[in-house]
Amino acid sequence: MVLSTLLVAALVGTALGAFLQKGRFCFVNAFRDFFAYKDSRVTKGVLAATLLTMVFWGIAYQFGYYQTFWTPQWGLTGLVGGFIFGIGMTYAGGCASGTLYRAGEGYLQFWLTLLCMGIGYAAFTVAFPTLDSTYFAALTVGEGVSLFTVTSIPAGLLGVGVAIVALLGYATLVGRASTTAEFGERADVAQLHLGALRAPVIGLRQFARGTATYARGLARAWRTPIAASKQPWDPRTAALGITAAAVLWFTQHSIVGVTGPEARWTGYLLSQVGVEANSFEYWGSVLFQGQGVDVTVDMVMIAFVIVGAFLAAVWSGDFAVRVPKRRRLPNAVVGGLLMGAGSRLAPGCNIGNIYSGIAELSVHSFIAAVGIVAGVYVMTHWIYREVGCAI
Amino acid sequence: MPSIDDVTNTPDELSDDDATELFEEADLVQDMMGEVCPYPQVEAKKGLQQLESGDLLVQETDHVPCTENVPRAVGDDADAKVWRSGDATYRIYLRKR
Repeated sequence: MVLSTLLVAALVGTALGAFLQKGRFCFVNAFRDFFAYKDSRVTKGVLAATLLTMVFWGIAYQFGYYQTFWTPQWGLTGLVGGFIFGIGMTYAGGCASGTLYRAGEGYLQFWLTLLCMGIGYAAFTVAFPTLDSTYFAALTVGEGVSLFTVTSIPAGLLGVGVAIVALLGYATLVGRASTTAEFGERADVAQLHLGALRAPVIGLRQFARGTATYARGLARAWRTPIAASKQPWDPRTAALGITAAAVLWFTQHSIVGVTGPEARWTGYLLSQVGVEANSFEYWGSVLFQGQGVDVTVDMVMIAFVIVGAFLAAVWSGDFAVRVPKRRRLPNAVVGGLLMGAGSRLAPGCNIGNIYSGIAELSVHSFIAAVGIVAGVYVMTHWIYREVGCAI
Repeated sequence: MPSIDDVTNTPDELSDDDATELFEEADLVQDMMGEVCPYPQVEAKKGLQQLESGDLLVQETDHVPCTENVPRAVGDDADAKVWRSGDATYRIYLRKR
């Protein structure tokens, strides 16, 4: 590997880790807390990061500043694997990226989760030849594709268009919620009809107000940069930083993935202790693509996510070696195994499929994202079975 | 669906002295050290169900996100205040309404 490539990987990884840590950018939190008690702070951060990244990746692609997309074949594997992954990440209490940044914050529980994800990858690799001819053959429908590459609309424009449609949809939901509250239960049909028309406008106005408040807060924070950098950040601030790092990565390497590089780390580490990783079809020809089992640039990037999270946590006074309660060990073990296996069965994790996958408009990722969110929904209801969920 | 404005609504922070004083009033203390989301949220909700109005529930935690997520989870059931020790441990004070 060239030194400049390594430096970019280290920079992007460190930045991602730091922003994830500062924004508590947790995909489990984003969906679980929304279902459990309609808390959408982190959900908004995830949406902002995904849509902004989509716009900038679209522009970068249109002008040729990109290397490759990640577009696996699509089919029901996304739903099945995604669902298993969603169950796993909710039970573990951390998604693929969340596990990494919490490992950097000193959570021994999430180092155990990482280890069990590794066992999940290894088990999948052993079973791959059978799965390939049964599970993947039966459930795969077609070749994977990014919508950026197949439409006649310029990619930059398409990205902006999808972002605007998503914003209008969001504004309508927000606007409708507030008009319903305003009219109360006595609202008649005519009023509600009017409300439906006004909803996007009201929602957009609220969005503009919220964004202005946020921008003012950010400007205030800039006046005392050192003190502000130690405080917890709004997930939207983290979203801006994550977008910048992801755009740099896209122009230099590819989309941002987590579990693919982790599965390669598993093969590489096993090969260091004498396992013939290269002789396994999944490691040898799928993950390392016949190039031999060695450290690749995205593996370096992922390792630096832990470093970045560690540095940010130390800086903020959030770092501590945290020993889990013994009754939480099943969460790390079972959750890790399910995430490891689920991310290979889909394929892809929350970052590959929800964040990067939607941002690159990959058909496979639309399906897998539905699977993951469905898994989170089911598992959230199970964990909250004694106290109940809002949605 | 909550509005985008409530992002800024984080719980009040207690000073070291207030935190120590208030801790002695606690009617129920939950040891959440080593626990991660969402279990502290679930335990806080269960804990509040056992308490009377005006009672104080205190959670001790070393999981940063809990300082925001637990107050969110209990919502209107309790008034929340948070104390940050500065060395990665936190207390969440929930006064039942």
